[in-house]
Amino acid sequence: MDLVLSAEAAGGHASESLTLAAATDEQRLLLLAVLLVPMAGFLLTGVLGRRMGHRPWIISVSAVVISAALATILAFSALLSEEPVRYGFTLYTWIPVGELQVDFGFLFDNLTAVMVIVVTWIGALVHIYSIGYMEHDASKWRFFAYLNLFMFSMLLLVMADSYLVVFAAWELVGLSSYLLIGFWYTKRAPALASKKAFLVNRVADHSFLVGIMGVFLITGTMNMLDSFELTPWAQTEWWVIDIVILLLFVGAAGKSAQFPFHVWLPDAMEGPTPVSALIHAATMVNAGVYFIARTSPVFALAPETMLLVASIGIFTAILAASIAMTQRDIKKVLAYSTLSQLGYMFAALGIGAWVAAIFHLMAHGFTKGLLFLGSGSVIHAVDGEQDMDKMGGLRKKIPITHWTFLIAALSLAGIPPLAGFFSKDSILGESFIFNDYLIFLIGVIVAAMTGFYMFRLVGKTFYGESHVDPAVEPKVHESPPSMTGTLLLLAIPTIFLGLIIGLPLGDSVIFNWLEPIFAPANEIMALGHHAYELIGVDGGLILVSVAVASLGIGIAIWLFGFFGLRARLDKVRELTVRNRLTRGLYTASFNKWWFDDLNHLIFYRFGTRVADGVMWFDVKVIDGIVNGVGAVTQRVGDDVRHIQTGRVQNYALGIAIGLIVIAGLFIFMAR
Amino acid sequence: MSQSLEAYLVLSALLFGIGTFGFLAKRNAIAMLMSIELMLNAVNLAIIAFGAFSAELAAQFSTIAIFVIALAAGEATVGLGIVIAIFRNRRTPLVDEYASMKE
Amino acid sequence: MELPATVPYLDWRWDDLLFLLLAGVLLGAALLVVLGRDIIRSALWLILSFAALAGIYGLLGSAFLAISQVLVYIGAIAVLILFAVMITQSKRGPAKLVFNRQWWVGALAAIGLVILLVLSILLTEWDPTATVQVADARDIALTLFDDYLFAFLALGVLLLAGVIGGLYLARRDDDMPMTNIPGGVPDEEEAV
Repeated sequence: MDLVLSAEAAGGHASESLTLAAATDEQRLLLLAVLLVPMAGFLLTGVLGRRMGHRPWIISVSAVVISAALATILAFSALLSEEPVRYGFTLYTWIPVGELQVDFGFLFDNLTAVMVIVVTWIGALVHIYSIGYMEHDASKWRFFAYLNLFMFSMLLLVMADSYLVVFAAWELVGLSSYLLIGFWYTKRAPALASKKAFLVNRVADHSFLVGIMGVFLITGTMNMLDSFELTPWAQTEWWVIDIVILLLFVGAAGKSAQFPFHVWLPDAMEGPTPVSALIHAATMVNAGVYFIARTSPVFALAPETMLLVASIGIFTAILAASIAMTQRDIKKVLAYSTLSQLGYMFAALGIGAWVAAIFHLMAHGFTKGLLFLGSGSVIHAVDGEQDMDKMGGLRKKIPITHWTFLIAALSLAGIPPLAGFFSKDSILGESFIFNDYLIFLIGVIVAAMTGFYMFRLVGKTFYGESHVDPAVEPKVHESPPSMTGTLLLLAIPTIFLGLIIGLPLGDSVIFNWLEPIFAPANEIMALGHHAYELIGVDGGLILVSVAVASLGIGIAIWLFGFFGLRARLDKVRELTVRNRLTRGLYTASFNKWWFDDLNHLIFYRFGTRVADGVMWFDVKVIDGIVNGVGAVTQRVGDDVRHIQTGRVQNYALGIAIGLIVIAGLFIFMAR
Repeated sequence: MSQSLEAYLVLSALLFGIGTFGFLAKRNAIAMLMSIELMLNAVNLAIIAFGAFSAELAAQFSTIAIFVIALAAGEATVGLGIVIAIFRNRRTPLVDEYASMKE
Repeated sequence: MELPATVPYLDWRWDDLLFLLLAGVLLGAALLVVLGRDIIRSALWLILSFAALAGIYGLLGSAFLAISQVLVYIGAIAVLILFAVMITQSKRGPAKLVFNRQWWVGALAAIGLVILLVLSILLTEWDPTATVQVADARDIALTLFDDYLFAFLALGVLLLAGVIGGLYLARRDDDMPMTNIPGGVPDEEEAV
């Protein structure tokens, strides 16, 4: 395929290529501070935390808040400047080995700014929330230490400028996730879940690493910006490029839990709810999306792989949404919802709607964060119960939680003017405009399903009759201010983010922020810019997405109740067993389409048999050889020792025979 | 034949062989020492024979032979002393019994 | 009476006949030393072999060495051997077996050694013109005390060491009590 290198193909917008400026001293200081303050928090809390008694969170929460403040300064100074900003600096040369020169450096532009805001704001709010949520846990110092470690790792990931440092941060983030999912490691389920998460990620990370090596082989550099030079890529075979990009995508898919690596995310709900909110909704799982966005110029060179990215993305979206519709655990519904929304982001990336994907990343981060923290508040209220069948009618008892949760649910479903509407509509809109009609269609179906399962969740939890355990019911109470305050704070961006950066439609703030970064990729993909028609195609698309979401919400409300409306649980039951088709679909959805069982069969059952075979070989053959050598030596030694008789004449005979042999050889060889 | 060096050397070789056989096959320690004396004498015969058939070296080889004789005497002294000492301990002159360093 | 120039009937030289006789005696005596059952008899055959050897030295022109051989070997060493035999005679009487279990291997080794030596001797090209030279005692003395004086003196020291060593090894223990008797050294008064 020909690489389109001319600027005219970009259409009306001039593609200014961003030049990399050197960071000023203040910028360097701020960047390092943003990164190192959480690291210091981790170390201090780790060392001193145990002795701090009831308030180990002082260090870590302060660290994150400071880091968030500094990051905000950096981010806004970049975003609000007139010219698009990009600067960076190298801290030191990490690996100077012959041809492989890897510098440990940082990069800061609008994309980094956006990511940093999401990570630090949601991170800070989660830390504050955890003060209340982890109040009664004896090892909360460990929790806060790990949270700080995670903040450091994630910030490193989004601020690094070379593939290898990103990979190192990738692994660090995975480690933090492992530590936090398995925080209650004395229980079986969290230990297994953390192990599962780590192992699934490890598989994907191998692919990631090979992909990085591929990039290095082609371009000769580990620096991300340098690797965007087109010349080496133009000289490579198209299918080689596809494979390398595919390997990178598999790595990203693992971290962001796309099919078939999605199996670890629902299990990760075994971790404390703040962890689920921070890592598995708002930040870590976005690492894959960020990475693909960051390396968009390179991804754009592999259209076949981009097609796969979009396909897997939208497939994950509909698969996860279908499972979310039947789950009973409140956190599992949210987990599958996260999978589904991540699928949207990957689909957007795959079709070249880069800005839309990042916009959805932001909106989803705040929205899902709010949803998870709200669910944590609900679980806290009903004394640890997570099964929605045992909830209901909670709206009067935990009002703040209820209202913020409702707002977030509406946002996720895509109802204007909340944030989720703007971001989801931009994805659906772009897919239609770029003529990816299949993705548009599936995306629309998923939007309906999203509305349905969110309001099923809301209905079962907050409305209708209370099915709460009678022993627990009198104790249901609103959460402490550290938790509800966080919910309220998160509700603000959920409501206003779209209005602030999603407008004006067609030439939005966020579009202007991020478009220069994706200009090289758009050039390669020859995606033209399209004039926004509110009365016309784009307006129609808005109507479609809102209508579809409302349809889903409506069905859910009809089945599961809303404020005064009662739930029709008998109707629900009747629907699931009406005919073979619905029963089959329900069972399949409830059993997560049996993917976990498939993995168990392949990797565990079959794998253990292979392992048994290998062990047989090891024990019988290899150990046999080794032990056999020992046994033979022993037996030979046993027999040979009879030579030592202790008698001089025997030895003298030996000498005589030796003498004859050697002398004979000498004499008669010389002839 | 008496004027040929080879005859004396062959004689020496035969005597040496007899001594070797005695050393390897006899059980009595003193018999072994007697066999050693036979071997030493065979070697001495060879030395003297070499010396006798060479004008320049006759005196030197004879000197060597004298040394050999003297050394054989010294060696026999010490060797027999050892045998007597061991005999006092073990009450037998048979070397088969002197096998306490066996494995 | 004058001897005929060569041996009658056989037409050998007298020297050769003498050589064969002496060689035969030597080898026969040596064999009897090794094959004999009684060790005293073996010692006596050894003396005979020494004597025959002295005769052969004489045939080789070294009268001095022949006499030294008789004096030292027969006069000293053989006597020493006889004394040692008598001291080490065990009360159990002569052993039933004279040879040990490996005697046939030893015989083979000895035969192999002899074959090796004889072959190498016969295959070497010696100087065919050489004849027996008489070794003058005066020349031997000059060599010994002039060129090899140091070696001679060292030999003296060696023999001295040998004598002292032999004395010490063969001494009787009641003259010098051993110090590692189990039960400790008995006191002077207790020794009866």
